[in-house]
Amino acid sequence: MTAPMGIFRGRGVALALIAPALAVVGLFFVAPLVMSGVVAFRGKGGEFTLEHFRKSFDYYTTDLLFTLAIVLLSTLLIGLVAIAIAGYLTLGGHPRTVAVLRWLYRWPLFIPFVVAGQLMRTFLAKNGMLNHVLIGSGLIEPLSAQSLLDWRGIVVAFVWKQAPFVTLLLAGAMAAVESQHIEAARNLGARRLRVLVDIVLPQVRGTLLVGLVLSFVTMLSVLSVPLMINPNSPTMVTVDVAYRISTHGDYPVANALCLLSLALAAIGAVFYLRHAAAQVEGK
Amino acid sequence: MKTRMFILAAALAFAGATAGQTTLNVVTAGDQNMVDYVNNYLAPKFEAMNPGVKVRAVGTGPGDGGSQKIYEKLSAQQKAGSNEWDVDVAVIHQLASATMVKEKLLMPYRNDVSVGKLVSRDTAKNALGADVDGYVMPMFHSQIVFAYNPDLVKAPPKSFVELNDWVKKNPKQFGYNGVKGGMSGVGFVTGWVSAYSGMGDKLEKGPYDASAAPAIDKALSGLKEFNQYVVMTPGNAGTLDMLNRGEIAMGPVWVDMFYTWQADGRMSPKIKLVLPSPGLPGQPMYYVIPAKAAHAQLAKKFIELAESPEVQADGIIKQFNWYPGIDPQYVQPKLDQAAWNKLFTDISPADLSKYGRPFPLSPYFKDIVEGYERVVLK
Repeated sequence: MTAPMGIFRGRGVALALIAPALAVVGLFFVAPLVMSGVVAFRGKGGEFTLEHFRKSFDYYTTDLLFTLAIVLLSTLLIGLVAIAIAGYLTLGGHPRTVAVLRWLYRWPLFIPFVVAGQLMRTFLAKNGMLNHVLIGSGLIEPLSAQSLLDWRGIVVAFVWKQAPFVTLLLAGAMAAVESQHIEAARNLGARRLRVLVDIVLPQVRGTLLVGLVLSFVTMLSVLSVPLMINPNSPTMVTVDVAYRISTHGDYPVANALCLLSLALAAIGAVFYLRHAAAQVEGK
Repeated sequence: MKTRMFILAAALAFAGATAGQTTLNVVTAGDQNMVDYVNNYLAPKFEAMNPGVKVRAVGTGPGDGGSQKIYEKLSAQQKAGSNEWDVDVAVIHQLASATMVKEKLLMPYRNDVSVGKLVSRDTAKNALGADVDGYVMPMFHSQIVFAYNPDLVKAPPKSFVELNDWVKKNPKQFGYNGVKGGMSGVGFVTGWVSAYSGMGDKLEKGPYDASAAPAIDKALSGLKEFNQYVVMTPGNAGTLDMLNRGEIAMGPVWVDMFYTWQADGRMSPKIKLVLPSPGLPGQPMYYVIPAKAAHAQLAKKFIELAESPEVQADGIIKQFNWYPGIDPQYVQPKLDQAAWNKLFTDISPADLSKYGRPFPLSPYFKDIVEGYERVVLK
């Protein structure tokens, strides 16, 4: 008699324990998502319609492609920068440089996107700091200075902001790689780059992928950076969503655009889940 | 945006909880300077005149989006059947005022306040074609104008036609912020369409005629070609920044932002203004009282102070470089000549009344900005 009661009681406690978390997820994530879906497919009279998606594609196909291109390019560059920094932190031969680099690279982690956008706005302008430095050091002629406040500015801001995050994950994973592997390769005469590419990277591939997927999804949702650097056409979908709402009060098209960017984010989620599944199976 | 709503809600909740005194909640759309104006300038004056009253100003963000949030908040309270709304005075844009009057979210009050008869401009009665007579009083007017660098531009173009020739001779010297980066760019676009569609009056006065769309699109296709010779700037402030750094020689700006930046030393004092023919739009911000404001009587007193000639002279013109919301003839006697002249140095009152236009009616406005996305950006 007592055993089933105990199980029941245990289950009740377990349910009670996860209820707040479930409620938060349901209330703040699932419900808005469902509502967003409903609004995106609902016409003026409450009927089902694809009109808002037709309009989204009609007006914003370029911006959707632009968003995807920007975010993919940034993800690629973030990967390269993170591998370079984490690789040096793990394999670098000069302790002082490693220490300085370790201290420096995390700084952008603590700077919000909106501040990064503001920094880039003055840094990358035609008569901004970057060009002043380049002209001052004689690297470029004043007349050939150009503004980088277009897609390049957005990519620079994203890479600058997100690379440290991936580096942080990657450097941790690299530190956990058995040092014997590295030493064995070095003893057999392998150069550092070769050790990085052939020995270390394959072992931390999973972590790198996770870091990049998380960055990919984060960058898709950033409004402040494109808004501050390049809100004009083509621009990122987040700007269009904000614009539909604030200028037109047009929630249906804004929601349709949100669902479309969700579809883009789903590409990242697929990679993430496949990796997670592979890891579970591996174990 | 959600954060903003949260702060708004939190601030109002906190305001309500403060015991022992009455709190007048002023919610304002617009940039931070609007909140500063109420908190730092109006509130101390009003609190000194009304012991036991505390004024609390909350901002909802720039542009029509800021007004949209106020509209959503009031509309939610209306739908909830609440009898005391927690906004006493709101400061909103024209577009939202039309909607809010239509949905009975506002209280008619202009005839109840002594300053009601000091307003003279058409905008006190008509907001983008909608009848708002009695429900609103303009807090100030602002105007979009071209700012230019006289070192680079000796003879600034005086009309849109001249501008079109000028950019072809001086490519990449004119900059504006499109339609997604703030109202100075939007105003430039509607000004362009007024000039090139040949239907300026109809756009402003109506009636709305959907068959005008081809004429609007045709004007916009000219703008598409024009855009090849210009620089796109990141926002209202972006245009000012680029002018100040010498990256562009000319661009559309809000006159009040321009003067404020100059007063703060963020804009070269050399830069000058010109208002081209057939005109650029400007707009007021309105003081309104929600239909079921908890402290409606106090709200009226607050607006009486804010619209008094003294406050309009010292606060609106002298400190914030806006054009007055009430008739200038009542304001001028309260102002020293230097301050008056400063506001009208580059653009005379005559030019302002001739070329300072309202924005197009809201259905036309929508056709124009959506047309811009369809015709110019694609």
